[in-house]
Amino acid sequence: MTTVSLSGGPEPAVRAAVVSAPARTLERAWWQTHNAQRKIFGYTLLAPAALYVLLLVGAPFLFSLWLAVSDANVGDPVARFIGLENFRSAWEMDTFWIAMQNSVVFLVVAAIFKSLLGTSLAFLLLQNFRGKKLIRGLVVIPFTLPIAVSVLSWKWMYDSQFSVINWVLFHAGLIGGYGSESWPIWLGQPQLALAACIAVNVWRNFPFSAIVLLAGFTSVPLEVLDAAKVDGCTFFQRFRHVVVPMIFPILMIGLLFDTVFTLSDLSVVYLLTQGGPGNASKILPVLAYQIGIQAGNLGRGAAIALFLVPLLLPALFLVLRNLKRREY
Amino acid sequence: MSDPRPVQTALSTLNRRKFLTVAGAGVAGGSLLTMLEARQAPAQIKGTTLRILQWSHFIPAYDAWYDKFAKEWGDKNGVKVRVDHIPHLELPARMAAEFAAGAGHDIIHNGSSILTRLYYKSLVDLSDTYDQIGKKHGGWIPAAKSLVEVEGRYYGLPIYHILLPMLWRKDLFDQAGLKAPDTWELARVAARTLKPKGHPTGMHFSQCADANLNWRSLLFSFGGAEADPSGDNILIDSKETRETMRFAKALFDEGMTPEVFSWDDASDNRFLASGVGCWIHDAISAYRTTEDTNPPVFQNTHIALEPAGPSGKRVSVAAANVWMVWKFAKNQQAAKEFLVHLMDNDREGVIQSRGYNMPYINDGYKKPMPVIGTDPKMQVLQDFPKIVAFFGYPGPFTTPIQEVVNLYVLPDMFTRVGRGQNIEDVMKWGMGEYRRIFSKHKRA
Repeated sequence: MTTVSLSGGPEPAVRAAVVSAPARTLERAWWQTHNAQRKIFGYTLLAPAALYVLLLVGAPFLFSLWLAVSDANVGDPVARFIGLENFRSAWEMDTFWIAMQNSVVFLVVAAIFKSLLGTSLAFLLLQNFRGKKLIRGLVVIPFTLPIAVSVLSWKWMYDSQFSVINWVLFHAGLIGGYGSESWPIWLGQPQLALAACIAVNVWRNFPFSAIVLLAGFTSVPLEVLDAAKVDGCTFFQRFRHVVVPMIFPILMIGLLFDTVFTLSDLSVVYLLTQGGPGNASKILPVLAYQIGIQAGNLGRGAAIALFLVPLLLPALFLVLRNLKRREY
Repeated sequence: MSDPRPVQTALSTLNRRKFLTVAGAGVAGGSLLTMLEARQAPAQIKGTTLRILQWSHFIPAYDAWYDKFAKEWGDKNGVKVRVDHIPHLELPARMAAEFAAGAGHDIIHNGSSILTRLYYKSLVDLSDTYDQIGKKHGGWIPAAKSLVEVEGRYYGLPIYHILLPMLWRKDLFDQAGLKAPDTWELARVAARTLKPKGHPTGMHFSQCADANLNWRSLLFSFGGAEADPSGDNILIDSKETRETMRFAKALFDEGMTPEVFSWDDASDNRFLASGVGCWIHDAISAYRTTEDTNPPVFQNTHIALEPAGPSGKRVSVAAANVWMVWKFAKNQQAAKEFLVHLMDNDREGVIQSRGYNMPYINDGYKKPMPVIGTDPKMQVLQDFPKIVAFFGYPGPFTTPIQEVVNLYVLPDMFTRVGRGQNIEDVMKWGMGEYRRIFSKHKRA
């Protein structure tokens, strides 16, 4: 039975026993300290995400690195190390350089259009008008539709004979009839084919840009904008000198996502043209798929796919560096 | 009175080993006979599951029949059969995934892109089944074995192939006083004559399955080849190839519109069905589409034998379809028995596909063939087996050729010529691609 003193603490004898006990029994184990427990709690929360990234991103990435330096093909369970042979082989292909060039054009042109359209749409959606919520819901439809469905619809709209776009242009008197020189063959003329693929990519993804920008715009305090107005700033000055700096981190993250989505967009080009006519719309993901999966050269396909990394790394570096600077 | 002594018989000399041998053979033979008589599979496949992966057929009714057919076979033999259909372009990726995982379907379908040589080390040797079916059905057509034979063994079963004959508008030809397109030259004259009247022709100057098939039919009929019969040496750089490219360029300039640069596998179907095209070189799905969508045009659409090249040679490159069984398949026995049963009902497959599926077995060509033999316009399809070829002709469908096909190198060569690039430059580019691919596989 424990004796309790009037002051509320243990009896002096007990206190003495406690004091005379070895020091280590008083110290708590390191994991019991407040700081350690906070850290453990933090890491526990982080663990699922980290595990997810390691297993589903890190491991496949490392595996693709191995494939790229091996002679792996789909029918052979054993792969040998061949160094940079796959990269050299890709480097020597005409088609690879065409695909690289198309990828860059695809990325830059699509990014420009998505920025313009996304910004315009975001501003429109900021205005107050009847049915605003409905319109906000509708504009994300292209982004949420299954890609196969939407791209097949576009394929019909681009059909060489039954194109609804051409039908409208013809009835507007802008082009001649089917079979005439001015009848556009959207997926059959090299420049038009790439432009057609870019248009579908823009159509699919600019609502995403708009939503990202909209989220940024709504986070800008009205007082700041009002103050800028009082100071005599025009709309574009407010946008350039107030809004953009304040939503810069969001813009950067949006840009990063968009770059990754665009550069790895296999589906649109593959479903519309398979890279044709004559490689005119071939981009790196399509070439990597054709060589790696369809032709069975996993090693060379992986090497071609990895050429995307040098394209993505600068964007990633710039974005992260800018974000870090802003933090200070 | 009978002699009470036991009669001496041979049995007295039968030892235990002989008894077991004779009895075992008797039981096995008896079981086999019983099994054959009952037309049922042996008991060991009962209670198992058979998983089949196949393409979504261009004739949906065939898929409906096939699924029912597989289920009925399964019900009869106590096997649970599951058939998965996916688009044919996804088959190579799916096959790669199953190979990597070492698990998946028992039977796997290959369409157009036949991957036997790529995967044969992981496929069941079906030589016995191949021979058994051949003997039972009058042998295989000459081109069949090139698809599945590797080092003298057979690692797949050719099930059916799809022909791409000439589909031409007789009414338009007659109005212009043109002869039927029995040769490529006559086809060119027709295109040249009918294009100004609003009826051009079209062949795919694009990257699609039909482009790979059609340009090879033209090239081979002109006497050209991609590789020699061994499949090891490149033959694309030849005067025949140059002649074919010159012909293709003239055909394009005189008889086509630029829309052919955008064509996919279904575009020429629509082109014919719309009433615009004077002829196309395509599978009879185009003929069937026209039948369903534009009956007046269908009435005037006729089918011709593969046009002859300058020296009279006819080679029709067809889209092959082959079944394979994985070595890691859990139900190999049921897979083999189902495939034999399917081949025994090959005729029904022709009927259900409305004459789209062409047999690989000689008995399948006994005239009149179902559907094809009863339609006067389609009867000519019965004469194709001797001129049918597959990718790799005159050799096997090797892995380098498979890569050439999958990267659309040959259609790209024709596309470049069609766009006006110099033939020698195109040949240089094409040879570069062929050499790079062949040398890589040789090193491997």
